[in-house]
Amino acid sequence: MKASWLVPIAGVAALVWLARGLVLPVFLAMAFAYLLSPVVAWADALALRRSVAVGVLFAVIIAVLLAAGLLLGPRMLTEASALVDRLPALARQIDTGLEGALRELVEAAPVFRRVLPADGGWAHRWVLDRAPGDPSDLFEHAGHLFLLAILVPFFAFFLLRDLPRIVTAAMDRLPPQHVETSVAVWRELNGVIGRYIRGLVLDGLVVGVLAALGLWALRVPYPLLLGAFAGVANVVPFIGPLLSAAAAGLVVLLTPGQGLAGVARVAVLFLAIKVLDDTIIQPFTIGRSVHLHPALLLGSVVVGNHALGVLGMIVAVPVATVLQETVRLLLEHRRVLARRSVRPDAGRLGG
Amino acid sequence: MPDRRLSRWLAWARDHEQARRAPFLARSPLFAGLPRRLLGRLATRFLEKAYSAGEVVFHEGDPGRALFVVVEGTVEITQATPRGEYLVRTLGAGDAFGELALIDESRRSGSARVGAPARLLILYKTDFDALIDGEARIAVVVMRNLSRVLATYARRNPVALTEPGPRPEADEPP
Repeated sequence: MKASWLVPIAGVAALVWLARGLVLPVFLAMAFAYLLSPVVAWADALALRRSVAVGVLFAVIIAVLLAAGLLLGPRMLTEASALVDRLPALARQIDTGLEGALRELVEAAPVFRRVLPADGGWAHRWVLDRAPGDPSDLFEHAGHLFLLAILVPFFAFFLLRDLPRIVTAAMDRLPPQHVETSVAVWRELNGVIGRYIRGLVLDGLVVGVLAALGLWALRVPYPLLLGAFAGVANVVPFIGPLLSAAAAGLVVLLTPGQGLAGVARVAVLFLAIKVLDDTIIQPFTIGRSVHLHPALLLGSVVVGNHALGVLGMIVAVPVATVLQETVRLLLEHRRVLARRSVRPDAGRLGG
Repeated sequence: MPDRRLSRWLAWARDHEQARRAPFLARSPLFAGLPRRLLGRLATRFLEKAYSAGEVVFHEGDPGRALFVVVEGTVEITQATPRGEYLVRTLGAGDAFGELALIDESRRSGSARVGAPARLLILYKTDFDALIDGEARIAVVVMRNLSRVLATYARRNPVALTEPGPRPEADEPP
């Protein structure tokens, strides 16, 4: 690598470090832009100016979100506020059940007395004491969310509008001898990431709708909230579906009249959704875009969790996919070169 | 009055760069016969790059990953022979080269060097494959045109197809 390349690379790295607070909004904006890019490409094919196409698209999205908010918002708000109102009672219920079970356990096997903490009220502390005590914390959280809600569409708008110009400018600055190979790798990765993100969102949407409908059919309380949670959690491989099933199971357990039979019904529902997702939904939505080995997939999620928490778990799979695909492409290109060098006349006609 | 305002707005809302590409590609023998709608979709998959005179687009023996279409300027296709570099042809606006990259990643059979400062449209195999996955008609038309190009080449150089080996004397410079 030429020394002249080190200066801009170091400059970009320094800029990323200084603007590290913007990494999350930019990452989410990129994902959002990938999601919308097929629609913008369709407008490109009609030779429509990008700013007009992206502007109209954003106006339609805002209208759809407003309509969805008007249709589903009140119901979801009712479910959420009912859940929040019931939280202290639910926490007490869980604690009473847990303490009873632990008391029985300690009576049966006194050795556990040394291992288990003496004080109770775990659920109460875990659920209720986590709420921000200081109003300024609440404002800070709300401020972050508000900033994300503004910055993500803002960056996505400009990414979608200006990407062709950015790509052309970057290509004009690339040394000609590197254009074909480097851009080929980028285009392939671009295709894989785009298909993966669009597939993931579609998959989460289908799983969320199926979960909400199934829970509603089983007369489980808060079907919309739990369905939305199942759809969002589905983004995190392995752990997400387990978490959403556990949340629904817990709600059933605390609902009078449902009991263990209700929990079993919910477990069967989530198992059926998982099987359906793995065998039918994912092959249609995500398809062949990602071939991560299950061990690599789980490992990347664990590493992501350690590095960035929940966000890390969400971005772990795309990042691991990009790394894997880059290595695969480089090895494949090396193999192609090696094969061709054995047969120097292969592709003699290739123009 | 409102009609004139609407047509002015429609003209403003039009992406002239994209609008220029589709008819331009239609003139290339490789994309002849594609309907306007599909040409529009194909045009969105091309990237554009400016080259200075003397710059090499690719070297003979490089793996081919993209097709190039000359928008402006000239590109010289050369081949190395035991007697030195042989100019196969000089391409101008509308001409395409590197077509076989759309089939596989064969090594380039010649080098491409820019004669006069040029702008090239570049279509990567990955993008072409992604497009024809949803639009089989593009694949049929382009592959038919590509077969014609190959047939023309085969009629001119029959030995090259049947006996892989050194280029026949007929193709070498006098």
